[in-house]
Amino acid sequence: MSSDAAARISIRTRYRLDDRVILLMMPAFVCLVVLLPVGQARPLAAAGVVLAFAVGLSGIDPAVLLRRWLGLTAVFGFLAVMVALGRPERATLGLGPVVASILAKNALALTAVLTTVHVLGLPRIVRAARALGLPDVPASSLLVMERYRHVLGEESARMLRARRARSFRRGRNLDWVILSGMIGLLFVRSFERGERVHAAMLARGWNGSMPELEEDSRR
Amino acid sequence: MHIPDGVLSTGTLLATGISALGGASYAFSRLEKARKEKTVVLMGTMSAFVFAAQMVNFTLFPFPISGHLIGGVLAAVMLGPWAGATVIGIVLVVQCLLAGDGGLLSLGANFLNMGLIGCLVGFVIYRTIRDAIGGRTGVLIGSMAAAWFSVILASAAFAVEFAASGHWSRLLDTLAWMALVHTGIGLGEAVITGLVVRFVLMVRPDLIFDPKPEGNETAAGWARRAAPGGLAIAAGIAVFLAPLASPYADGLEYVSEKLEIPMNAGPSVEVPAPLPDYEFKALGDSKSIATAVAGLVGTLVVFGVGALMSRVFTSKASQPESSLEDVV
Repeated sequence: MSSDAAARISIRTRYRLDDRVILLMMPAFVCLVVLLPVGQARPLAAAGVVLAFAVGLSGIDPAVLLRRWLGLTAVFGFLAVMVALGRPERATLGLGPVVASILAKNALALTAVLTTVHVLGLPRIVRAARALGLPDVPASSLLVMERYRHVLGEESARMLRARRARSFRRGRNLDWVILSGMIGLLFVRSFERGERVHAAMLARGWNGSMPELEEDSRR
Repeated sequence: MHIPDGVLSTGTLLATGISALGGASYAFSRLEKARKEKTVVLMGTMSAFVFAAQMVNFTLFPFPISGHLIGGVLAAVMLGPWAGATVIGIVLVVQCLLAGDGGLLSLGANFLNMGLIGCLVGFVIYRTIRDAIGGRTGVLIGSMAAAWFSVILASAAFAVEFAASGHWSRLLDTLAWMALVHTGIGLGEAVITGLVVRFVLMVRPDLIFDPKPEGNETAAGWARRAAPGGLAIAAGIAVFLAPLASPYADGLEYVSEKLEIPMNAGPSVEVPAPLPDYEFKALGDSKSIATAVAGLVGTLVVFGVGALMSRVFTSKASQPESSLEDVV
């Protein structure tokens, strides 16, 4: 580990905020950014500087954020123009600055969400949300989903690979019927897996709520 | 189709957020009552399934683009309307947090459009058609038609939410474009949903959600359930006819003006612009007709493909083993 990364982790652990505080700060920041006036660069720049500081401290690779933003901007750019056409500021500022302002607001909100999730991870976010009053059933469902998302993702990739290995086809495209059949089979397997998991959980004393250790082992 | 942050106004965000929160709470309470302690496991694994299914890309040959299943109606057909809506809600939360797909503040609007409208209204349409046709053919055609309508209705809901965010004057315009674009997306969704449902019907038909009928089925009972389905289908069709209504009204106005002042029908006659910022006035008619035709073609294609695919249930007996062998 480089000394730079070690120093960053040291700072992060020393000044670690409570998960609940971080979780509350994220929507507050997103609300603030969305409510900022359109067409004014300074408040947006100030919010950007604060967020850049948080991104630097989190250790997330800015290239990852940039790639994600560029991927989504292809669709959002069109919507931003549609929104800008109806904004009253267009008359004074022109279309370009209004579109740029809307795109910037969206980029800041997106970065705030992705950075928070990178820092905390979904399980800690759910735990913090639960501590803030999120009911048990949606919280536990999210945790089970996070666990089986990877399992079923791997299962789906394995099925796709198996099919490719057995098909005498060139090229990467598989036919819609085969792919849909695969999704159907994935549904059957997921459902059966859910039944098995449920039976196993009942055998271990499951009563509908996710038990938790007092202290997160990663702390 | 995921609405990002910064598109809807504060009022619309609040209204959609409160509706979504109410809908989600009700869905969870219904599920807990019906499935008890199984709710968490079922919702978790089924959300993970929809997430994994969305990773399978379908290439739109010969175009260099690909799409994926949305899965709202599929989830509703397999698990029931409230469970389907909840599954989509969980998927939307994870997509928003992990991939930035859809804004954090727009989560309520996205859940309302894709979860509540997509699954619940989609299920009502599915059930109406399924009951009317009956059997496995009914399940197949019903799910395909519902998948197509749910995409159209979700896009129409977005158009209304967008218009409510200070763009009322462009409601019909937005509605027309959204419906036009989503006709194609809806067709893809309908075909994939139909193929998946067809597979499950052949392999494990018992997994298709089928609520027990409450008492004896009467004509009045059927009509009561068919009415919302018919209403939803009518709403879907209205999405396509609404854009057509706009230039028609202007056309009448134009004709009446012409009749009043026939001698000055040249440059002095002003045709009132229905949409001030709309740049394609000259193409207004053709675009509206194209939208309506797209709607008609979409409906016919969905029913046609559904009827074609359902022949598998009548032409030969289903062979579960061979179907499994065919896939992996």
